[in-house]
Amino acid sequence: MENRLKELIESLIFVSSEPLSTERIKIVLEEFSEEEIEQVLQKLVASYASDETGIEITRSAGSYLFSTKPEFDPWIRRLLRIERKNKLSSAALETLSAIAYDQPATLAEISALRGVDSTHTLKVLLQRKLIKIVGRKKSPGRPLIYRTTDKFLTYFGLNNIKELPTEEEISKILEEEKIER
Amino acid sequence: MDVSSGYQVRLEAFEGPLDLLLFLIRKKKIDIHDIPIATITREYLEYLNHKEKINLDREAEFLLMASLLIYIKSQMLLPRESDLTEERDPRQMLVDRLLDYQKIKAASLILREKEEVELMRWHRTFRPPISKTEEIDLIEVSLFDLAESFFVLTKQKERENIQIIKGKEYSLEQKMKEILAILEENSFLDFLDYFKEQKTMVDAIVSFFSLLELIRARIVIAIQESLFHTIKVWLRKGSRSKGS
Repeated sequence: MENRLKELIESLIFVSSEPLSTERIKIVLEEFSEEEIEQVLQKLVASYASDETGIEITRSAGSYLFSTKPEFDPWIRRLLRIERKNKLSSAALETLSAIAYDQPATLAEISALRGVDSTHTLKVLLQRKLIKIVGRKKSPGRPLIYRTTDKFLTYFGLNNIKELPTEEEISKILEEEKIER
Repeated sequence: MDVSSGYQVRLEAFEGPLDLLLFLIRKKKIDIHDIPIATITREYLEYLNHKEKINLDREAEFLLMASLLIYIKSQMLLPRESDLTEERDPRQMLVDRLLDYQKIKAASLILREKEEVELMRWHRTFRPPISKTEEIDLIEVSLFDLAESFFVLTKQKERENIQIIKGKEYSLEQKMKEILAILEENSFLDFLDYFKEQKTMVDAIVSFFSLLELIRARIVIAIQESLFHTIKVWLRKGSRSKGS
């Protein structure tokens, strides 16, 4: 099996219906070194990047999962008879980015940043498990504090919180908006 | 309603007062660091005036901002002892808030693009009937999820006109055996279907308790994809001997 580690890991990811974490792969493949596994994982992901396959391995929140390539979505939906998937509301998206950048954050902080009461939106995000309660703030009223979850990262295809839109990307968007009008 | 400004955007289209202000600033090509408060206040109030009725729940925040704008305007009109440059510009706090908000708003637009790409990726959704160990905590339903489903289901049951026949014994053990027997035969059990088959309220409650007991004893695992979805129950690996 030594020389077929890539194919071996490929098969592990293939049978997983949940994203498969690097840690889990390392535990399962105890006879291989961690460096070796990390190296091969990178190679494996790269090998699906070409145009020759309809599926690829995506890495998000440090875990790996097989998925179809986005460009084939219209036909897949035709096959599965699915009109479209539900997107988050703009309010939910705005609230999420407020939490993501300022976490851990309280309801009052989020509402102040948005200028709008965010009680309801927080509830929706909690239900969708995109955010979680991580405790209470040691301030008057001991308000609950929230953080984004791994599911949040997976939902947006981010690997970790550092992959959130950067200052540069944000200023680029703002520049574009100025020109538009 | 007057249509002098060419086109009208309804208040509902904005996420909140900051969103509306940013829109007006862009529309009027105003420098965010040097906002002509008088102009912007007039524009802002115009939007509020278009509302025939003020819905307090939704528009309270818009009204709060209106009062802040008027307050800032009054501060700017007051004669000052020292130079304006030396003192803090009364607009500064608003500008800071607008800049912070603008940033998360722009970030959310980028996230929207990422969401759209991710939603176009499809994953295989089957659940392999294998028992996993460490990973399982991620998808196992919590007691609260189970309880929530339970209350929904009991409500449904309540609506059915049920007559309880007294004298029947309800045994947790018997119900557990029944569930295990089904699991032995099929690879998994759809708990919602099973629950609906229960003839009486007491049967239904006992079946739910049996499930909880089986989960606690780590004989079965229960997985629910999302809230109010059905709960699928599998035998744990190595617990087969217990059932037979």
